Amino acid sequence: MRRFLFLAFLLFLTLVLPGTLFHLWAWSGIKPDLTMLLVIYIAQHSRPANALAWGFGAGLVEDLYLGHFVGMYSLTLTVVALLTLYLNSRWYRENFILTVVLVFLVTAVGQLLVGFLGFGAGLSWSAGDIFRVVLGVSVYNALLVLVTYPWIHRSFMQGWLRYQAKYER
Amino acid sequence: MWKLGESTVGRRVNLTGIAVLVFFLLLGILVSMRLTGLGRSVPNPVGGVLQRLASPVENVLLSVGNRIKRDTRALWSFDQVESENVALRRDVNKLTGENLSLKEQILAGMRYAALDQGEFRSPTLDKYAKVGATIIDRNPTAWYQTLTLNRGSADGVAVNDPVIANLGLVGKVVSVTAKTAEVLLITDGQGQVSALVRDSSGNPTFGIVQGTYKAGSRLTSTGHLEMLFRRADKVNVGDLVVTSGLGGVYPVDMPVGKVQEVQLDKTGLLKTAYIEPLVNFDSLEEVYIVKTVGGK
Repeated sequence: MRRFLFLAFLLFLTLVLPGTLFHLWAWSGIKPDLTMLLVIYIAQHSRPANALAWGFGAGLVEDLYLGHFVGMYSLTLTVVALLTLYLNSRWYRENFILTVVLVFLVTAVGQLLVGFLGFGAGLSWSAGDIFRVVLGVSVYNALLVLVTYPWIHRSFMQGWLRYQAKYER
Repeated sequence: MWKLGESTVGRRVNLTGIAVLVFFLLLGILVSMRLTGLGRSVPNPVGGVLQRLASPVENVLLSVGNRIKRDTRALWSFDQVESENVALRRDVNKLTGENLSLKEQILAGMRYAALDQGEFRSPTLDKYAKVGATIIDRNPTAWYQTLTLNRGSADGVAVNDPVIANLGLVGKVVSVTAKTAEVLLITDGQGQVSALVRDSSGNPTFGIVQGTYKAGSRLTSTGHLEMLFRRADKVNVGDLVVTSGLGGVYPVDMPVGKVQEVQLDKTGLLKTAYIEPLVNFDSLEEVYIVKTVGGK
């Protein structure tokens, strides 16, 4: 329960921070996608079913929070969780550099999917805009790994975010 | 190794069922996206609750972030701030220079106007041509009290021309170049002025005004000027001292100062009047040179 509440709190922060603090530290309008980053971290440290459920759930919460295009982030973050699970099963997750690359790639795919879905939903984004946003958000998220991953990985391993089997509780 | 389509316990899952589920899920999401696009009003109670929960936090975070950004602006955009700083410094210097120049011109104009309007009246001065001058230097040594003016022989200034300010006598020209003139102040021990003091009935008492500024005696007296009288002369505190016109340098009736104090000599035969000059020499910036020598 504590793990769930803490993850919910982190999800809340990832929704609030990009519009406030990171809005002030935006580079040419580019802000990190913290919810996507959190879903990647969760998928790295959870079982597949949990990872997919968190991806879909977090996406749905983000959709409802944004109030528009409900389903866009639900789908995107589910795909992000899926892709993370796939890459994480092949790459050694303790490797810090690989984690940075993983976050960059998965974020890029996720943002591309958002762009694609937005395009399909009638949003008029140019290819240049999509490329700029995809590249910028991916770089920003990858850079944030340097700051956040050691802390969150430790928490997933031995802190508040550590998964406890039922027999351990 | 994790594989799609297999649960962790290895139980077989119907892939067709999953594909159908995924298809409908995707279809539902696309329909939902269409229905909740921009400009469409759809009830969103969960989103409303989330917004209400988030708004106080967002408000605090944004204000904190704004403060941090404002306080650290110089760090994030150092080049821009530096170039702005350079430009502003240049503007400030330019404006300060212009401001000072304008102030000086205004003050000089006001002082000359006051002088022209005649703070003191001396009919004899009207006979002479006058030239306004600005003090450009003061004697850097402690030995003499002289001023350097920006007028010289090219302007018709000659040695021994009197120099006056708005309230009274300043001194006389002691040396001249083409563009400058050096003025010995009446407060200097080297400068002596033939003067007179009128009592309440208008009777004059003549004497010599001597400056007290001379080597070794700078701190010995109150006042900057002194004048010797006989004991019987009627001189009182507050009497006005003016030039007598007898010395051949200064025209008659030019104010010199006011008697500040009168003391009897040790012998009891003479008394000394300490005179406070009317002109404040420390703040003096503009004067008039009276062309008594060459410019009558």
